[in-house]
Amino acid sequence: MNEEKACGPHMGKSYSYRELPIGATSLGIHEDVIKTGTWRTLRPAFRVKTSPCNEGCPAGVDVRGFITLMKQGLMSEAYKLYVEENPFPAVCGRVCYHPCENACNRRDFDQAVGINALERFLADFPAPVGKESPGSGKQAAVIGSGPAGMSCAYYLARLGHHVVIFEALNVIGGLLRSGIPGYRLPEEVLEKEIEKLTILGVQFKTNCPVTKELWGELEAFDAIVLAHGASEHLSLPFVSPSEGGVGILSGLDFLRRVNLAGEVSLGRRVAVIGGGNTAIDAARVSLRLGAAPTILYRRSRAEMPAFDSEIEEALKEGVEILFLTSPVAIERIESGQRIRCIKNRMGHRDESGRPSPVPVEGSDFFVEVDTIISAIGEICDLSFLPQGIDFSHQSVRVNELGATTRRGVFACGDAIDQPRSVVHAIGSGKRAAIAIDGYLKDQTDAAIMSDLVIGQRGGLSFKHYLEGASDVWSKKVVHFQDLNPDYFQYKARYARPKVPKESRTGFEEVYGNLALEEALGEAQRCFSCGLCDHCGNCYIFCPDGSVLEQEKGTLNLINYEYCKGCGICANECPIGIIEMEKEG
Amino acid sequence: MAPGNDNGQRLMLTGNYAAAYGAKLARAEAIPVYPITPQTTVMEKIIELIREGELDAEYLPMESEHSVMAAAIAAEATGVRVFTASSSQGIAYMHENLFVASGLRLPIVMALANRCIGPPISIYPDHMDSLDQRDTGWIQYYVEDAQEIVDTVVQSYKVAEHPEVLLPVLVCYEGLIISHFLEPVELPSQEVVDQFLPPYGPEHVLLRPEKVMHLSVTVNDRYYMEYRYQQQEAMEKAKGVIKAVDHEFGQTFGRAYGGVLQSYCMEDAEIAILSMGSLCGLARMAVDELRKEGMPVGSLKLRVFRPFPQQEIEEATRNLKLLVVLDRDASVGMGGILYAEIAGSLYHLVSKPIMVNYIVGLGGRVVTLKDLKALTTEAVEKTAEGKIDKPVRWFGVRGLE
Repeated sequence: MNEEKACGPHMGKSYSYRELPIGATSLGIHEDVIKTGTWRTLRPAFRVKTSPCNEGCPAGVDVRGFITLMKQGLMSEAYKLYVEENPFPAVCGRVCYHPCENACNRRDFDQAVGINALERFLADFPAPVGKESPGSGKQAAVIGSGPAGMSCAYYLARLGHHVVIFEALNVIGGLLRSGIPGYRLPEEVLEKEIEKLTILGVQFKTNCPVTKELWGELEAFDAIVLAHGASEHLSLPFVSPSEGGVGILSGLDFLRRVNLAGEVSLGRRVAVIGGGNTAIDAARVSLRLGAAPTILYRRSRAEMPAFDSEIEEALKEGVEILFLTSPVAIERIESGQRIRCIKNRMGHRDESGRPSPVPVEGSDFFVEVDTIISAIGEICDLSFLPQGIDFSHQSVRVNELGATTRRGVFACGDAIDQPRSVVHAIGSGKRAAIAIDGYLKDQTDAAIMSDLVIGQRGGLSFKHYLEGASDVWSKKVVHFQDLNPDYFQYKARYARPKVPKESRTGFEEVYGNLALEEALGEAQRCFSCGLCDHCGNCYIFCPDGSVLEQEKGTLNLINYEYCKGCGICANECPIGIIEMEKEG
Repeated sequence: MAPGNDNGQRLMLTGNYAAAYGAKLARAEAIPVYPITPQTTVMEKIIELIREGELDAEYLPMESEHSVMAAAIAAEATGVRVFTASSSQGIAYMHENLFVASGLRLPIVMALANRCIGPPISIYPDHMDSLDQRDTGWIQYYVEDAQEIVDTVVQSYKVAEHPEVLLPVLVCYEGLIISHFLEPVELPSQEVVDQFLPPYGPEHVLLRPEKVMHLSVTVNDRYYMEYRYQQQEAMEKAKGVIKAVDHEFGQTFGRAYGGVLQSYCMEDAEIAILSMGSLCGLARMAVDELRKEGMPVGSLKLRVFRPFPQQEIEEATRNLKLLVVLDRDASVGMGGILYAEIAGSLYHLVSKPIMVNYIVGLGGRVVTLKDLKALTTEAVEKTAEGKIDKPVRWFGVRGLE
C-alpha cells in the first residue's frame, strides 16, 4: 500500500478517490481528527476509596485489606496488616460486637461478610511484630492494663518509647481478664495477646492501684496515659447504703470473682438487674454455675444496650428476661429475699434518645430470689486525679486526639466519654499513642491528624501515621449505591460452629472457628469495596481503548488523550473505585 | 484436473449444513453467530465441526446479531477469515453494522437463510430480509440449492477478498425450502479448495500491535464522496471478478452457475421469466412445458443482485417482447424490488420489453408449476390485448381479483 497516502486523508490536500487508502483507514494516529479526549466534560479517575467496614471499625482495622490477603491465602501477611491497626485479633475475633459487619455493603445484597469470624480465623496465624524505630529515650506510664491501656502501650512501644503499665489487680488484662467470661474469651488466648507486649518490651507493674501518692511517681514520665477504665459500679438507687451489700453483688465484682477466684455461691434463684453486656454476662455465668437467672430490665428488647448476639445466646441458653420491669424495693422474707417490681410502659424519649419507662400503677409483683446481681452500669473512680485534669459526668475530658486538659496527660478507653466496647478501647488507645508520639516530637495536632482519619466514625490509621497515605487514597467511603451489584453472586455466609446449647455446661468457648476452606470461601464473599481487584471490566468496556491495564496491585491508568469521559468504566466497575470528576 | 474429479465426497445435506461445510472448506477462522430460525442449524453444524476437530475456528457466542456483526468486523480487521449466518429480524438488527463492514472494506461472508420479516411472525421464507439490505454495500448472491450454497460460499471468499473488490458478501437462500431440505451435495475436497482459495492476507485493513492503524477515519465534505465512489468502483469490478471466479470454479470443480445472470432457453425467446433463488428451478420447468405448448419462452436467473447486472440484463432482454419478473418480496407502497430495479435499469433504452411484475410466494406461500404457467399465460394475453392495466400484480391473494 502507498504508505504516504495511507496516513489518512490529508484535509489540506485533495487526493482523488484512487489515491485514498481502502477501507477508510489511516496509518498511525491522526492527531488533528481523533484526539477524542477533547470532547470530555467529566474525567474518570481511579481512586482507592475507603471501605465502609474500615470506617465502621472504631479501631480503624483495614478489614478489606486483610480479607484481600486472606483471599490469596496469605494469612501471615493478612495478620501483619491487621495488627497495624489492632494488636488483638484473637480478642476481637471473639468479643468484638463487629460494627464493621453492620457497615458491610454486602448486608444490602445478601448478608454481611463474616468479618468477625475471619478475624478469629486469622488470629491463629500470628506473625511477629517489630518496632518501627529504635529507642526514643522517652518513657510513658500507662494506668490500667485493659484493652485501651494495652493497645496504647503496644503502639507506644512500636514507636520506640519505653512503656510501664500500672495495674491495680494482680493480673494483667483489665476487663478482658476480670470482666469477660471464659466461654467468650479463654484465659490462654488473652495470655498470648499480652505476650506481644512483653516481646515489645512493655513493663507491667501489677498490684499498683493509682493513688495520689503513686501519681507523684508518675510525674517523672514523659507522658501519662489514663486507661483505668470504669470499674466502680452504680448502686441500686432503692437500696439504702446501710442495707446494701447483703445478698447483692455488683455485676463486675461477680464476674471478677468468678474469673479470678472460681466458684461463687449464688443459690438457685438469681436476679440480674440491668440490660447491658455486664448483665448478660452475669446471667450467662450464673447459669453456668447452676443457677436459674432472670434479668430484670426496665425497657424493651430494642433498647437493651447489650450486643444483640449476646442477648440472643442468653435467651437460647435459658436466661429469662423480664422486659419493662423495674425493681423498686428489696424485701426480706423467710425464704430469703424478694424484689418488688413494677411493670413499665414506654413513655417519651429521654436525653439518651430512648423511650423512658413509665411505671404502670398497680402492676406490682414480686420476684423471689437467693441472689441479686446489680449491673446497672459502671462509672470511673476519678478520685486520684490531680488538679488541672478536667472531667465531667465521671469521664475524663479529652480533645480529638485523646489529650486531657493537662499537657502530657492523655486518656483512652472507658475513662473517657465514648461507647464502652473493647474495640473502642483499642481504637482510643491507639489514638492516644499516636498523640503522645506527636507530642513527644513537638508536632501540632493538625499535623498528626492529617490523613489518619478513616471515614467519619473516628477510626484512625496507624499505617498512615507511619507511612503517610498513598496519593490515590480517597477518604470517600464506598456505599452500596456506589457499587454495581450486577456482577455479584448471591452466596450465604459461612457460620462459625457453635457448641449446642445443651452441651454448654462449663466455661469452654461457645463459638468455634471456621475451617480453612470456609474461611477462604467467606473471604471471597468480600466485594472489595473501593479497592481494585482487577476484574478487567473497565478495560473491556472502554469503547475508546483508553483504559490502560496495569499489573495486579497497581491501579489502572486512563489515556486522557482519547478518553471521551463517557463514564461506562465507572458504571461497570463492580466496586465503585472510578470517580467521574469535573474536568478542569 | 478434470472437472468433477476432485476427490470430494457425496453427502446428503440440508442447505444450512451445506453453508456450514462451505465455511469449513473456506477455512473460516472466526465465526460469530447468534441463533435465529431458520438459520440456527448453520450455527449448530459449525459448532459441531469445531468440536469434532474438523474446523479450526473460534466460535464466538454473542448476545445479539448486532454484536455478532460487531465481532465479525473486529475479527476480520485483525486479518482472519470470518463467517457468519443470520435470518430475518436478525440481519435487520445488524443493519447499521452492515454499513461498517462494507465501509471498512472487510470481506466477511454471511450465509442468509431468507425468512420473511414480521409481523405477522412467520418462519417461512421470502427475500425481503436481504433485499431490505440492498444499500448496505454488501455483495448479494441468491442461490437455489444446497450444492450451489456450498460452492457459492467458497466462491464468495475468493470474490470478497479479491484486491479489487474487498467487500462483504451475503449468500442468500430461502429458509426451510432450501435451508432445511436434504439434497445430495458433492463436497469438494479440502486440498483442491485450498488451491482454489489461498489464505486471506489483507493489507488494506489490518489491526496489529506493531503498526497502529485507525479504522473509520473522520472526514469532512472534501472526502466523503471519494470514499463512497471507491465502493461503487469496487462493486463494478466485483461483477467481473464474480464471473471469473465462477468460471474458474467450473474449470476446477465441474460446476458453474452463470456468473451473475444465468440464462435458460433464451436464444430465441420472445418472453422471459426472471426470478431469484428457488423459484428459478420452477421457472425452468414452466419454460419446458410452455415451450411444448408453442410459447417462445425462456428464463433468467438473477444470481447476483448486488452488484446489479444492468449490462447483462440489457443484453439478455434485447430481443424480448415481454419480461415477467417474479418477486418473492414486496416493497409495500411500490411493488416488487426486482421489478423496480430492472425497470429502472432498462429505462434508458429506446426499445425495451414490456414488463409485468408478479409478487409471489411471500411468507413461504407455495408457488406451483401451474401458478407459473398461469401467470405467464395471463401476462402474454394482457400484452397481446395491449392493456397492461396493472404492471404490479399480487398473485394469489385471496379476495383480490
